[in-house]
Amino acid sequence: MAEVRSPAHPAAPFAHWQRHLTGYAFVGPALLTLCAFIVYPIVYSLWLSFHDWNGYTAQWGPFVGLRNYLDLAQDEIFWKSAVNSVVFVVARTPFEVGIGFALALLLNRELRGRSLLRTLFFVPVVLSLIVVTILFQRIFEANAGLLNTSLREVGLGVLTRPWLGDTSTALPVVIAISIWKNVGFSLVILLAGLQGLPHEVLEAARVDGADRWQLVLKVITPLMRPILAITAMLSIISGLKVFDLIFILTRGGPTYSTEVFATLLYRQAFELNDMGTASAIAVIMVVVIMGTARLQTLLLRE
Amino acid sequence: MTALDAAARPDKATAQTRRPTRWLESGGVWAVLLIALILSIGPGLYLISLSLMDTPQIFGGRVLAWPIHPENYPQAWIVTRIGQLYWNSIYISGISTAITVAISALAGYGLGRIEFFGKRIVYALILVGLTIPLQIALIPLFANLKTLGLLNTPLALIGPYTGFGLAFGTYIMKGFFEELPRELEEAARIDGAGDLRIFATIMLPLTRPALATISIFLFLQNWNEFLFALTFITEESRRTLPTGIYSLISTEFYGNYPLLAAGLVLFSLPVLVLYFIFQQQFIEGLTAGALKQ
Repeated sequence: MAEVRSPAHPAAPFAHWQRHLTGYAFVGPALLTLCAFIVYPIVYSLWLSFHDWNGYTAQWGPFVGLRNYLDLAQDEIFWKSAVNSVVFVVARTPFEVGIGFALALLLNRELRGRSLLRTLFFVPVVLSLIVVTILFQRIFEANAGLLNTSLREVGLGVLTRPWLGDTSTALPVVIAISIWKNVGFSLVILLAGLQGLPHEVLEAARVDGADRWQLVLKVITPLMRPILAITAMLSIISGLKVFDLIFILTRGGPTYSTEVFATLLYRQAFELNDMGTASAIAVIMVVVIMGTARLQTLLLRE
Repeated sequence: MTALDAAARPDKATAQTRRPTRWLESGGVWAVLLIALILSIGPGLYLISLSLMDTPQIFGGRVLAWPIHPENYPQAWIVTRIGQLYWNSIYISGISTAITVAISALAGYGLGRIEFFGKRIVYALILVGLTIPLQIALIPLFANLKTLGLLNTPLALIGPYTGFGLAFGTYIMKGFFEELPRELEEAARIDGAGDLRIFATIMLPLTRPALATISIFLFLQNWNEFLFALTFITEESRRTLPTGIYSLISTEFYGNYPLLAAGLVLFSLPVLVLYFIFQQQFIEGLTAGALKQ
C-alpha cells in the first residue's frame, strides 16, 4: 500500500476533494465494468435463486424462498457432483504441486537448455482445453485409441477398457488429463519461487555440511512453504471451477460419474431450463470457492 | 545455481571420487527430465501426427503418420470454415483485450498512486474479481443479453471478457504503478502537470513490460474461452474458434478425424506462435501475479 500523499496544492481550498475525484476518474471505468459484470450478476443470481424461472418467459416465475436450495439438498445428483468436485480437487492438487515442485527442483540448477525445457513444459498450459480434450478423447478411445492399442501390442490386452465410458475410470482419467495440462503452471511459479530464495541461507546450510536431500527437505521446502501454499490454492480454486474439460470429454457421464458443480449448473440451466435451481448452484459455487480462498488466506497468515 | 551440486559433502569427497557420482547424478536428472518432457509434449506431437494421417491409419491405431497426408490442412481450412472462425476469434479477443488493458491501466494508476476515499473497497472488489467463477454471471448475462437482443453479436462476448479480465489486468498494473519511484511524479507536479499528463506521458511508458504481459495473457484467455462463447453465440457463422470446433465434433466431423486434427493444429498455431515469441513476458506476468499475493 502506498503511503498517503499530501494534496498537490495544499493552499487551494478544494484540493483535497479534487484528489478523491481524480482517484474515481481513474478507477471509474473499471468500477462500472466490475459492477456490470460481477456485482450485478452476483445480486441477480442470488435473487433468481429464490425464484422459479424457465428462461423463456419475459417475467420470472413465482418467489419460492429456499425451495431451490432444499431441492438440491435432497438431490442425489447434486451431492454426487459436490463429491466429485471435491475428489477432483483433492486428487489433482497434490500431484500438480508435487510434480511441479519436483521438476522445478530439477530445473533449478545450471543446466544446458533449462529455459527451453521450462518453455516446453509450459506448452500444455497454453493449449486450449478443446484441443486437449479432443486429443485425449482419441488417446483414451475404446477401440483404436492410442492407449488401448499400445496395451494390446505389449500383451496387456486384459487391461484395455473404454476408459471414459467406464464409471470407475472416467473420473480418474479426467483428473489425470487435468494434471497433465496444469503441471507446467505450478512448475513455472515454483521455479520462480526457488530462484528468489535467499542465497545466504542456502550457502550457510551447505557450509554446515547438509547434503542434497537435507537441503531440499530441511531448508528449501520450509522456505518455499508460502509459495507452495499459493500454488496449491490456485490449483484448488481453478479445480472447483472446472467446466470445459469435463463438459467436452464426458458431459458429466457416464451416469454422473464425472458430474461436477459447473457441468451440473449448465445442464440445469440450458438443458432442463431450470434457471432458479441453476442459480442456486452458482451461488453455492461462489460460497464454496470464496470460502476456500478465504480459509487459505487465513491459514497462510499463520 | 549450483547450490545443490556443490552441497555433496565437500569435506569428504575428493575430485576423483566425486566425478563418477556426479556424472551418474546428472545422467539421472536428465533421464527424469526427458521422461517428463516426453509425457508433456508427446500428446501434442501425436496430434500433429494424427493431422497428417488418413482415416484408415487412424483406425489402424498408427502412432506415426506414414505416408503423410499434408492435404488434410488445405481441406480442413476449407471444410471447417476455419477462416471465418479465425476472424471472429481475432476480432473478439483483440477488441476485448485492448479495452481491458486500457481500463486496467487507468485503474492501476488510480489504485497504485492516488489516495482516495473508498479505495480499499474498490481494491477488495478487484480481489473478488480474481477468484469469482464465471458461472455466477452465466445466467444473468444470458438473460440480459437476450432481453437486449445482443445474443449472437460480438458484444455478447466483448463485454463479459472485459469484465472478467479486468481484475487480473488491474491487479498487475497496480503492482507496477506502485513500484515506480515518487520522484518521477514530483518533478512533473512542480512543473504543474496534472494526473492525466503524469499518467499518460511519464508513468505509462514505463509500464510497457506490464502492458505486454497482461495483453498477451488476456488475449490467450479470451482466445481459449469456452463457456460464455458456448452459451451466448449459437449461430454457426458467428462462433469463435473453440466453440466452432466443438460444434464441428458434434456434427459431420465426428468420423473425419484427420480433418478435425488438422483443424485443431490450425487453431493452436497462432497461440503457440504468440507464446513462443512472448513467453518471457507471459511467464513473468503469471509468476508476478501469483507470487505477489
